[in-house]
Amino acid sequence: MSHYIIIVGCGRLGSLLANSLSSAGHQLVVIDRNEAKFDKLSTEFSGFKIVGDAIEMSVLRRAHVEKADYLFAITTEDNLNLMVAQIAKIAFNVPHVIARVYDPAREAIYGEFGIETISPTKLAAQAFLDIMRKDV
Amino acid sequence: MRYRLYLIDRYRSLIGYTGVLLAIIGVVFIVPLLTLVFYPQEVRYAPAFLSAGLPLIIIGMALWYKLAPKQEGSFSPTIHEGMVVVLVVWVVAVTIGAVPFMLISDLTFTQGAFESISGWTTTGLSVVDVESAPRVVLLYRSLIQLAGGAGFAIIALSALAGPAGAGLSAAEGRGDQLAPHVRHSAAIVLRIYAAYNVIGIVALRLAGMTWFDAVNHTFTALATGGFSTRAASIGYFNNPLIEAIVIVLMLLGALNFLTAYTLFRGNFRAFRRNGEIRLQVALFLIVIPLLLVLTTASIYDNIGTSLRVAVFESVSALSGTGFTTVGYANWNSFGLFILVILMTIGGGSGSTAGGIKLNRVYVMVKAIRWEWRRAFLPQHTVNEPSIWEGENRSFISDQLIRRVTLYVFFYIAMLFIGTAMIAAHGYSIGDSLFEFASSLGTTGLSVGVTTPDAPPTLLWGMSLGMFLARLEFFAVMIGVTKLFVDGRVLLTKPETPDRTVKVREDQA
Repeated sequence: MSHYIIIVGCGRLGSLLANSLSSAGHQLVVIDRNEAKFDKLSTEFSGFKIVGDAIEMSVLRRAHVEKADYLFAITTEDNLNLMVAQIAKIAFNVPHVIARVYDPAREAIYGEFGIETISPTKLAAQAFLDIMRKDV
Repeated sequence: MRYRLYLIDRYRSLIGYTGVLLAIIGVVFIVPLLTLVFYPQEVRYAPAFLSAGLPLIIIGMALWYKLAPKQEGSFSPTIHEGMVVVLVVWVVAVTIGAVPFMLISDLTFTQGAFESISGWTTTGLSVVDVESAPRVVLLYRSLIQLAGGAGFAIIALSALAGPAGAGLSAAEGRGDQLAPHVRHSAAIVLRIYAAYNVIGIVALRLAGMTWFDAVNHTFTALATGGFSTRAASIGYFNNPLIEAIVIVLMLLGALNFLTAYTLFRGNFRAFRRNGEIRLQVALFLIVIPLLLVLTTASIYDNIGTSLRVAVFESVSALSGTGFTTVGYANWNSFGLFILVILMTIGGGSGSTAGGIKLNRVYVMVKAIRWEWRRAFLPQHTVNEPSIWEGENRSFISDQLIRRVTLYVFFYIAMLFIGTAMIAAHGYSIGDSLFEFASSLGTTGLSVGVTTPDAPPTLLWGMSLGMFLARLEFFAVMIGVTKLFVDGRVLLTKPETPDRTVKVREDQA
């Protein structure tokens, strides 16, 4: 089953996800403000690249957010991720919206908006704790 | 050392993908045999097609099963590797494509290869006598144009589990993507192409052609190929309705698939501001009245016929199709030169048409305008000249201008060299220019230089022009260079053979 996936932010994580999802046969649209960031995409990637600010409606419309099954907001800025995720969820009714959030304190707020979150900080903390627990 | 192992690994996969494309070409050779259902008396020609097609299918499938990576999406060729594959596949296709012509129509290898190259590249210059050729050969000619127009990579991507990544289709000049995944995109392109064909066949049948003629002319009009089943081409039918339908089909064939797709989805705004469409409309508005007043009005009796001829020949030349309704013997030099210009400009990028391509010309025109305007602006003004492609606006960067300029220069240089080549065979400069512009633009209009008894060197020179232009020069150059460079690494004996074996065992 091929999904229509939009990735906002084409950094290390974004390009990694985009490459592997695209070669798995999904339809990918990657948005980033900086065109040079698209250099990280490999030849496996055969989706669309859009240069622009994802909090602008016109950019999201060009990416056909209304058709998306998934939207990943994974820029390095928490607030921007939240805003994009909210727009996608509320204005465009995207079924699955996942945002990256560095600050664990903010996760609760995201939850209230019905946005799934992944916090690298929390994941890292958990990983450390797990290793410690094994040793003890 | 390690690089050599890496190359071996890459090339195994590349050969595997070459196999898929070869198998598809094999199928193209077998399909004309469907005519035998309707014309059983031609069954004696079947071995010629089977002997060309079956080995390709068998070898192709064997390579595919043996060498292509088993895991879906685990390998994707870069655009340069795509160029190698495309080059090899095209060389095999045009070579084997000559076989049926040699076996059935008694052509020499030179003539057969010329016809085959002219077919696959959707040119349409012909050395086959279409009046005496069996139907199965006629359909075969139309089919290779149909397949060559779509491009093998597109067919492979949508038909089979082709390679992931856009390297292959981009290398073949069909890189515009309609959907955010190559496979979806290829499937949409093929669906649009198929829909055009169905509409075209039905329309031409209703307009009075036989089914056989309708099928053949639809195939070759949409592929902007121009092979006809009649010696007088479309002129044989002498029917304004048929000409109108063929004009529409040629325009559709020369329309960039991405632009067509935005149009069909109802985005008229994107269609209207598309540079290629604007340039095309402008060209027709300038050229058709000129042709009418200065050329055709003085040749044909009434104004209606003159207009019909002017419109048809302009569209045929610009779209790179090469159908004609008249002979050019009584045309003046001005009219012929207008056609040369149109053939050189060509159709839409990523369509089946040839030539420099409308979008390149449009970029050049825009770039010149900006350069001019910049002289009157403050030094640090920020400009953003842009063009619309589909629904996307893209900016004209210096890099783009460099690429386009080099291409245009290369094209004009080839045009001059080829014209000189034909002139060296004793033809007038006008005839030479026209005929080579027609080869290079993969158009297929002819002033009579292309004949079955033309000298072999002439035919090969024109064949080379068609081949290079279809793959847009750089694909061939980079493909050949890469093959040489990599070939040297692959063919040199490794210095420490023992270690090679060991490393390979480790990998296994």
